[in-house]
Amino acid sequence: MKKSLVTIVIAAVLVAIFVLLLFTFQVRRSEVAVKTTFGKPTDELNQPGLYFKLPWPVQQVYKFDQRVQTFEDKFSERPTADSALLLSSVYVGWKITDAKAFFPKFPGGSVTAAQRQLEEIVGSAKAAVVGNHNLSDFVNANPQDLKFDAIEAEIKDIVQAKLATNNYGITVEFLGIQKLGLPENVTAAVFDRMKSERSKYISKAQFKGQEEADKIRSDAERQASDTINNAQALATRIQGEGEAEAVQSLKVFQENPELAVFQLRLAALKDSLNQKSTLILDERTPPFDLFHNLPAAPAANQ
Amino acid sequence: MSHEHEHHQTAPPEMRDAGSQALTEALRSSFVIVKIALVLLVVLIFAAGIFTVGPQERAIILRFGKPQGEGQQMLLGAGLHWSLPYPIDEVIRIPISELQKVTSTAGWYQTTPEMEAAGFEPPAGPALDPRIDSYVITADRNIIHVRATVTYHIDDPLHAIFDFAGGGTNQEFNLTGVAKAVQDVANNAIIATAARYNVDDILTHDFGGFQDAVEQRVRSLADAEKLGVAIDQCTVDRVPPRQLKDVFAAVSSAMQAHDKLINEAQGMTNRILSEANARAASLTNQAESARNNYVAAVKSQAAAFEQLLAAPEYRRNPRLYEQMKLAEAMTLVLTNVQDKIYLPLAADGRPSELWLQLNREPVQQKPGPNR
Repeated sequence: MKKSLVTIVIAAVLVAIFVLLLFTFQVRRSEVAVKTTFGKPTDELNQPGLYFKLPWPVQQVYKFDQRVQTFEDKFSERPTADSALLLSSVYVGWKITDAKAFFPKFPGGSVTAAQRQLEEIVGSAKAAVVGNHNLSDFVNANPQDLKFDAIEAEIKDIVQAKLATNNYGITVEFLGIQKLGLPENVTAAVFDRMKSERSKYISKAQFKGQEEADKIRSDAERQASDTINNAQALATRIQGEGEAEAVQSLKVFQENPELAVFQLRLAALKDSLNQKSTLILDERTPPFDLFHNLPAAPAANQ
Repeated sequence: MSHEHEHHQTAPPEMRDAGSQALTEALRSSFVIVKIALVLLVVLIFAAGIFTVGPQERAIILRFGKPQGEGQQMLLGAGLHWSLPYPIDEVIRIPISELQKVTSTAGWYQTTPEMEAAGFEPPAGPALDPRIDSYVITADRNIIHVRATVTYHIDDPLHAIFDFAGGGTNQEFNLTGVAKAVQDVANNAIIATAARYNVDDILTHDFGGFQDAVEQRVRSLADAEKLGVAIDQCTVDRVPPRQLKDVFAAVSSAMQAHDKLINEAQGMTNRILSEANARAASLTNQAESARNNYVAAVKSQAAAFEQLLAAPEYRRNPRLYEQMKLAEAMTLVLTNVQDKIYLPLAADGRPSELWLQLNREPVQQKPGPNR
C-alpha cells in the first residue's frame, strides 16, 4: 500500500514530464517558430516563451533564426550614369520577419539559401542604382549635390520592394555602402593628377608666401610712413604754434623797426659768412673805406 | 511524523509472526534508502543548477527561452550562480571582454598589426589594386587612406546578443555578429564622410571636423540599426597614398616655407613700425623743443631789444651804437672767413671786374707719381 503510493507519485511525475515534453515547446528570444498542423503552417510564434502543441503527427514545430544576418555584397565594378567605372560594395542586415512565408520558399528553411537569393537581388538593385547616378552623386563637397544617403535608400527600397512582391518573408533591416573604389588603371591616372595638383600647390605656396610677405611688409611700410608723416605734420604745427607765440614778442621790435632790421641783418651777416667762404671787398665796404680815405701814403703794394 | 505512526500500526503483528516481522523490518530499511535516494536526487537536481562564470565571459539565464533580467542586469558576471534545471532554465555563455574594439577595413592599404608595429610599409606599386588595397575617394576625387577605430561597450544586451547572428548555429551566442555590424557601420562612416570632404581638409585643414563627422555618423548609424552598443570613442587615422608620399611631404615643406616667409614679414613689420614710432616721437619731440627754444630765443631777443631801447646810452646816440655793432661784426666775419680778397675800385671809380673759376668741392690733390 505504502510502496504503491510512492511508486504512483514517481510515475505521475515521470508521466507529467513526458507529457510536458510531448505537448509543449520553447521558443528562444533569438528564434521564431512555425507550428504546422498536418503539414500546413498554422501558427507563427516570434515571442520567447513556453507554448503548447499537439504531439506528432498532428502538429510539428519548425524553428528559425530570427536574428539579423549581415553580409557584404561583392565588390563589383559598374558604370555610373556619366560612364565612370565605379567599384562598390554594400553591407546588408536582414532577418526573417514572416517565418510562415519564409518556410516554404527555401528548402529546409535554409538561411544560407535565402542569403544567396538576397545577394542576387541586392546585386542587381545596386547595379541599377549606380547606373542611374553620376559619380558626383557619390562624392561631392557640396552637401546639396551629394546623394550618398539617397543612393543607399534607393537600393534598399528596390530590394525591399522585390522581397515584398516575391513574399520571401524576409526584411532588410539596414543597408549601406561599405566600400567604394576605382578600377586599378584609373587609380594610376588619379595619382598622376594628384601629383600635378600637389606641384601646383607647391609653387602656389612659394608664390603666395612671397606675395603675402611682400604685402605685409608694404603695409607696414605704408603705416610707418603714415606715422612719420603725421609726426611731421604735428611737428610743423608745433613750429607754427611757436611762431604764433613768438609773434607776441615781436611788438617790441615795432617800436624801432630800423634797429630791429639792422640787428637781423647783422646776425645774418655773421651766420652766412662763416668759415670756408671767400669774401671780395672793395674800399666801399667798411672798414675798408679807410683805405679809400687814406691820407696820401705809399699804398702801391696791393 | 508519519514514520512514527507507521511504527505504531505495525506493532501488534510483530508479536504474532516473526517472519512478517523480518519482512517489515526489511521493508522499513529499504524505504529509508529510497527516501534518502529521493532527497539526494532532489538535492542533486538543484545542485546541478549551480554554475560558474569565468572572468572572460558573461552568462544569461533563459527561462522558457526568455532572457532574465533587464538591461545590464541580464549579464551575470564572473562568480558562482544558480539556475533552475533544464528545461525550465537554460544558461548561455557569451565570451566578452570589457572593451570592444573594431577597426574599419574599407579605407586602408593591406597591412597587419605586426607590420605596423615594425614600421614596415608594403611597397607601393604605380596603382592601387582594389582587390588588395582599400582607400576612400574624397569629394574632390582624390584617393587617400582613412581608417576608424571604434571602441564601444554593450549597452543593451537584449539587442546586441540576441538580435545579431554571429555565424555558427542559433545555439551559439556571442558578440561577433554585433562586432561585424559595428565594423560595417565604421566602414560606411569613413566612406560616406570622405565623400563630402576635400582631400586637404581631411589631411590637414579640417581633420578635427572630419573626425567628428565620422564619429557622428558611427553613432547615428549604431542608433538607427539598434545595435545595442554605446560608442565610447572613435579615432580616425589618415595618410596620403604611399605612391605620393614624397609629393605630399614636399607640399608640407613648401607650406612651412610659406609660413616662415609670412612670419618673417610679420617680424619685420613689428620692427618697421617700432622704428617709425620712435622716429615720429623724436620728430615731435624735436619740434617741441625747437619751438620752446625758438620762443625762448625770440622772447629773450625781445627782452634784450626792449632793454636796449630803454638804455640811456643808446638813446643818446643810436648811430654810434650801430657803427660799433657793425664794426664788431665785420671783425668777427673777417676773422672767420677763409679767403679775403681786397679789390680796389678802378681809377675811374667803377668797380673792376674779377673772373673766378669755382669748384663746388675743393679739388683733392691726386698723389700721382707722374706729377
